[in-house]
This record gives sequence, structure tokens and C-alpha cells, in this order.
Amino acid sequence: MIGLVMLFSAGAVRGAQDLLVKQVVWVLISLAVGGYVSFVDLDWLRNRTYIIFALCLLGLVLTLVPGIGVKVNGAQRWIGLGSLRVQPSEFAKIGLVLLLAKYFADKQREIGSFVQGFFIPSLIIGSVCVLILLQPDFGTCFLCGAVGATLLFQAGVGLRWLLPVAGFAVAAFSILVYFDPVRIRRVTSFLDVEANANDSAYQLWQGMLAFGVGGIEGVGLGMGRQQMYFLPEAHTDFIFPVIGEELGLLTTISILLTFLLLFFSVGLKLRQVSRMHEYLLAMGALLFVVLQAIINIGVVTGCLPTKGMSLPFISYGGSNLVVTFVFVGLVINVMRKKDNPSPIQAREL
Amino acid sequence: MKNVFISPYRFYFVFLAILLTFCTLGGRLLHLQVWQSDKYTNLASNARKNFIHEEARRGDIVDRKGSLLATTRSVVVLGVDPHSFKEKDSKKLKQLAVLLDLESEKVEESVRRKFIHSGNGVTAMKPIRWVKLKDEVDDSTYRKILKLGIDGVYGNYKHSRLYPNQNFASHVLGYLNKEGKACMGIELMADYYLRGQDGWRESERDGRRREMPQFRSVEFDAREGLSVELSIDRVVQERVEQEVSRIMDEFSPVSVSIIVSEPRTGEILAMANGPSFDPNLFNDVPLENHRNRCLTDLYEPGSTFKIIPVGAALNEKILRTDDIIDCSVSTYQKGKKRLRLPKDHHPLGKISLHQVVQKSSNRGAAQVGLRLGPERLYSYCRAFGFGERTNLGLLGERKGTLHKPSNWDGLTITRLPMGHAVSVTPMQVHGSMCAVANGGIMMRPSLIRRVFDEESKTVIPFKPRAVRRVIDEQVADELSEMLVSVVGPEGTARSAMIQGYQVAGKTGTTQKIIDGKYSNTHHVASFSGFFPADNPRAVITVVVDEPKMKKGRLGYGGSVAGPSFKNIASRLITYLGIQPRPKELSLIREQKLGL
Repeated sequence: MIGLVMLFSAGAVRGAQDLLVKQVVWVLISLAVGGYVSFVDLDWLRNRTYIIFALCLLGLVLTLVPGIGVKVNGAQRWIGLGSLRVQPSEFAKIGLVLLLAKYFADKQREIGSFVQGFFIPSLIIGSVCVLILLQPDFGTCFLCGAVGATLLFQAGVGLRWLLPVAGFAVAAFSILVYFDPVRIRRVTSFLDVEANANDSAYQLWQGMLAFGVGGIEGVGLGMGRQQMYFLPEAHTDFIFPVIGEELGLLTTISILLTFLLLFFSVGLKLRQVSRMHEYLLAMGALLFVVLQAIINIGVVTGCLPTKGMSLPFISYGGSNLVVTFVFVGLVINVMRKKDNPSPIQAREL
Repeated sequence: MKNVFISPYRFYFVFLAILLTFCTLGGRLLHLQVWQSDKYTNLASNARKNFIHEEARRGDIVDRKGSLLATTRSVVVLGVDPHSFKEKDSKKLKQLAVLLDLESEKVEESVRRKFIHSGNGVTAMKPIRWVKLKDEVDDSTYRKILKLGIDGVYGNYKHSRLYPNQNFASHVLGYLNKEGKACMGIELMADYYLRGQDGWRESERDGRRREMPQFRSVEFDAREGLSVELSIDRVVQERVEQEVSRIMDEFSPVSVSIIVSEPRTGEILAMANGPSFDPNLFNDVPLENHRNRCLTDLYEPGSTFKIIPVGAALNEKILRTDDIIDCSVSTYQKGKKRLRLPKDHHPLGKISLHQVVQKSSNRGAAQVGLRLGPERLYSYCRAFGFGERTNLGLLGERKGTLHKPSNWDGLTITRLPMGHAVSVTPMQVHGSMCAVANGGIMMRPSLIRRVFDEESKTVIPFKPRAVRRVIDEQVADELSEMLVSVVGPEGTARSAMIQGYQVAGKTGTTQKIIDGKYSNTHHVASFSGFFPADNPRAVITVVVDEPKMKKGRLGYGGSVAGPSFKNIASRLITYLGIQPRPKELSLIREQKLGL
């Protein structure tokens, strides 16, 4: 709801009604998909993991193929399907969670070994990350890497491998960023926002101004001015500053708390999930949603370098909303399962 | 029930990490929205503040009959936004170039260049959203351009000052510089009335720098400037300027200044100088051409100054018009000192005071000065307006030099009466002649008759103002009778005679001081006079600096400046409908004068 209301305000200069209608349609689609996912048989899903993952990889590869992949703002992130544009990297998140969950559930015993317990899952994460990196989409890559690493950590992969690789990944990431002129400027300008306010950190600066203008109580719904072309991405990635300006600290903190509460209330209950596969599935899904929120808020408040990352549930955008609701569906599904454990079935010997 | 496959340590570590992250973000929000709130609010409102300046239309300047001398028109500054330009319109660019009178390559280039390097880094490209194509496009051309319908080509209106008559009265009008600041002339003098009150709007703007009218807080409409009606008469001024250019052509002097005014009101009908300039193109001529030499250039007045000692002597009743002065003596005994008197061009012998004026005797004038004494001579000089500004109001007027008697050397008392040892502006000489023409009352010279608004309603009237009485009316009459004889068959200004009219005037031929000595080749020729003598309608002063004469002849005031007086006066007679004096009357007067 907040998402829709804010979108209406934030998108005021870009044909709010048009955006709103589109987003409502997407919400309905997402709810349907999410609802379906929450009832789907997880074991059935588990058996189709490889197909889904393969489709996701295929999608990622296709975005890189000239002619199929659509280039917007210098990044090839979309596949054009007629008038519709799909962002495969969003769906790759689902694939990644599914595969990792299935893998660790299957290989619980080999978790201690290097090859099966560490090398292969790293390879899985790596393949997704590298493909996304090639688009390039540093934000999503970082998100996938972070969620993947957390899942590895939770699944019990030895720290003696995890830590050096994490260090290596950070180093490699830094190097890549360093040699990419767009990214390095984002990073450097992030370090000195005010000096670059008219230039590379323009959007971030305007976002920070919006927060400041909003103060504690905000200027009132629909009264915000920063979205009046000061914030180019007011309705997508930078919707949070608009909320901050119009509704103030009270609402921004509430949103922050909502995400935190979501994570804690659901996450802590997940401890009671009896099956490894379902636990990892739900944990991965939850992490994807919450980490994405963290990154988005971190970026718009100037805590993290600028990345293109939308705020789950709130930002405008179809693919992300669907995927977010798929994750929610998965979590709900797992929670339902936990409350009604499926009867132990006799297996064929 | 708790699952067993996840170590609690690893499970809670993740939660702790997430919790800490959220705390950080919360803290950051608190920082931004509470502690930094004021700072950012200020910054944002500064960035949004939109101050739109609305230029007031400057008032017109018209002559006394209402014809337009300076006006303001709306012109368009035309430009193009290269990002709004669409390729489908590229064929129309040629037409645009023709309409704007520009090379089509230049227009093409302005449209194609869409980014500009903003300095640092490879990707530091700023989009160009406005390229000026032409500065002053008139309204009809602009409408034609809009009809072409090229996307992204648009203009903004601005005011531009126009002087429709080019050089006409340029020294009086002055001009506005490129910044729209008044620089001289009436433009500067009456700037307070002309400029009007600029309006402004305060509101906010959006990220594309467009005004958001819903946030408009202050709106103050511009108030059009008032218009100024000059005392200048276009017809007279035109004739005067013809005369200026005739003298410039014929004698190629350094400069010419002519002033025409009404003696009773002090209103100036025409004021012109050569060399002149076009205020529309004020930058194209040397700065010295901008000078209103009637007010700024100093010269030694020479014989035209003789009316002051003579007028003073008559007014103080020291001399009468028929008192005889011996112009054959070359020295004058004053106490123990013998003063050498100046020479005349022709020996004149014993002549009356009347003839001193008529023949312009230097020696005679010197003796008049000696009889007056320094203090009285000085005070009459001051009374006639020398050594002080006429306060016409135009920029750059000079006082001239008139030393106090305490600073005089021994010769000054004999040289000042003949117009040496004093420097004056043409306007001061003109003023003194006006006082004589106006029965001894000096009027304040004026250029502005009234200030009026758009509906032609007078806002501020400028009424004629008397400065002081200089000499008695009777003395003024006597003096003008003497001056009439100057412009007679026996006088020095025969060239200024007009059939059927009595003209009063005085010539002046001053040697310029070159290298510390009075030069025999460089002169200032001048004539100042009025007519008809018994009922003066106009005073005309002509000053020609360094007329170049043919075959080494001297540039006398009578021969150089006199004819100009006559030419201008003839035009005034037909234009103002000045009736000739009945012949009988003039005959009577001639008899009375014993001519």
C-alpha cells in the first residue's frame, strides 16, 4: 500500500495515473504468482530445481546476446519479449536460492569436504555472479554473492575456505570497480557527496537533501518537491528519499523497522523448520528481500556507493515485484509446512 | 522444536549482523533527517528558489511636438535547444538561416553539437540545452520562424533601445550601453523617470529549472517607465544639424557646437555638435565624438564676452551708451602702475561705448573693465553665469575657469573684458546672451518640458525658472540696441543680417593658445545672437573650433559662424511664423541711433 501511494506522489511528474495503473496490475500479477508459490509443493519444486536454474542461466546468457538483450543506460540487463521487457537477473535470484537449497539439502554429509562442500556451491554462485557482472549489474551481483555467501555460512561450510574466498571476492570486486570508469566515479563521488553534487553524485545529493527537507514529520503527502525532476529516479530506486521528504523520519524509521521485524519474526521462526531444504529456501528468500532493502536504503542515504537497486515492495518495477512476491510466497509456503509438517511417508527401500 | 543442522552460533551471527546493519541505517536516517535537517533544508530551498526578473519597458523620449526620438522595442533573442531538435526538421534549417541572415553551416553546427566538456574526466559531458543563434530578432521575423515549426527553436523577448533618427540630437539623447545602463544625455539625466520599476516573481523551480507556479510566493509586476518630453524641436534641431554638417564639410574644424533656445523660458530648442555619433552604434566611433561639446569643451570666449563689462558698466551707471572712450591710447595709468592696453585690429580713435561694442574694440573693452574695477567685473561675470555650471543636467558639464580677483595678475583687468583669461563653455556664452535677450533676467536652461505616462498624462511638469536678474531691463534694452548695430552694415557681423528683421548679436574670434602663445592660425570663431531684437524669440549660439580657411584667411566669427546664425534664423522665421518688423519702425530706430 505504501508503495502504491508513494508511487502516485513520486511519479506525479511522469504521469502518475499511468504508472499507478501499471503498478497495480503488477501487484495483482505478483500476488497471484506469490499466492501460487505459497501453495506449490516444495518437493515438486525441488525436483525441478535444475531445470529452473538452467532456464535462469539461459536467460542471463541471452541478455548478453546482441539482438535479444536490450541495452538501457549502458547496461544490457533486459530481454525484449515483444513490448514486454524481462530482467532475467531478477529471476536468477530465485534459481540461485532453489539450487543452493537443494544442493545443501542433498549434500548435508559432504559439507565438510572442500570440493563438494565448498567448491561446487561457490561455482554455482560464481557462475550466476559472473553472468550478472557481465551485463554489468554490480548491485545485483553483489546481492547474489552476499546472499549466497550467507547461505554457505549458514549451511555450515568451513570458515577456513569461506573467509579467504570472501576476501578474494571483495578484492576482485574492488579491482573490477576500479577499472570501470562509471563505477569508480560513483564510489569516489560517494566519498565526497557535496563536492560532486552537480555531477556524478547529483542523484545521491538530491536524495540526501530530500531526507533533510523532510525532517521528522515530513512536508506532507504530495507536497514533496525533490521528485520534481531533481531526483531522476524518484519512482524507482530513489523512492525512499521521496518518502523521507513527504512523510518524514517517522515513516522512514517505520519502514526500516518493518523490514527488520519481517526478518526477525520470520527468521527466528525458521529455526523451527525441520528440513534443511525448506530452511535454506526460506532463509535465502528472506535474505534476498531484506538485503536488497538494506542495500537500497544504504545507497540512498549515502552509506553505500550508488548502485541500481530498487526497494522491495515499494519501488516501481514489474520483474522485481514479482520476484519479491515469489520469495514471500516461498517463505509463507515453508512456514505453512512448518506448522503442518507433512506426514512421514514410507520410502521405498 | 529446533532444527539440528544449523549451528546456533552461525544462525544468530547472521541475525546480529543484520540487526547492526539496520541500526546503522536507522542512525543514518536520524542523522540526515534530524541533525542535518536544517542544513539540507536550506540547501534545497536555495537550489529551488526561483527569482524571475521582469524587465520594465523603458519610457520614450519625444520632442516638444511629440515625435519619437528614443524608444524601446521588444526584440527576440533566438536560440535552439539541440536536444529538442528533431532530424525531420533538418531541411528547414536552411530557411531558418536565410531568415536570420546567418550562414547555414553555422546554424547546422549549433544544432548538431549536443554536449560540452565540463572539464574533469572522460565522461564529464554536459548536455547543451540552449545555443544562441541571434541576439536581436524583430517580432515579424520571429513569427515567420515560429511558422517554420522547428522543434527546439525558440526565443525570449527582451527590450532593446532604439534611436530611430540615428545621429539626430545624439548628444542630447545619450544612449544605453550594452548592459542597458544609461550612459549620458537625457537617458542618464532622466533615467530615474525613464527606467520604470522592474518586476519580479519569486517561486520555486523544478529539477529542470522550470518555474513551478503553484509555489509562487511573491509577484510584482513591472511598471513601465515614464516618457520624457524634451524642449528640443525636431524641425529646428534638424536645421541646426544641417548647419553643423555644412560647417564640418566647409571648414573641417575640430568641432562645431550650436545651441538654439527660447530666451523667455530658457527652453533649448536645439543643441547639436559636430562630430556626432549614432547612439544605436555608439561603439563604432571614437569616444570623443560622444562629448556634448556645448557643455564640456572650454574655450576663451573672446569678443562675445564684451557684453559683460559693457552691460556691467551700464548697469552700474558708470558709463552711458554715448560716452566717448579713447581707443588711441595704448597705456592706462592706474595709480602708480601703467597698464598696457590690448591692440585693436584697426585703429579706431575716439569712439562711443556703442561703437566699442559695434566695432568690437579690445582697447575700448579694456578701458571699460578698468573703470569697473576687478571686484565689480568679477561679480558681473559670476552674475552672467561664468565660472559656474548652467545646471542643464546633462553629464559632463564643466564650470570653466574664472579666477577670483585676488588671483588675478596685473593684466587680467584689461584682458578679461575682451574675453581672454577666462574659459567658458558654449552653453555659458549662450546663457549670458539669453539673459540680455530676456530683459536682463537669466533663465535656467532646460531640456525637459514634462514627464508623462503611457496615457500621455503629465506626471511631472518642468516649468521655466528664473535664476536671477543680472542687469536692469532698460540696460538690457540698451545693450541689445548696441548688439543690433553689430549685425548691421557697420558692424562685425554683417553676415548674420536678415532682411526685414532686427538681429542682435556679437561675434567672437579667439586665438587659441598653442604652445603657450596666442596662435595666429588657430582660432575659435563664434557668434551668439538673438532676434527679433525688440521681441526676442530665439537665441542662437554658434561656436566653431579651428575652422580651416582657404588661402590663409582668418576664421573670423563673423565669416564662419555668422552665416550659420542667419541660416538657422531664416528657418525659424518660417517655422515659428515670426513677423517682420514694419519698415517704418526700423527706420525710426535707425534715425534714433543716428546711423
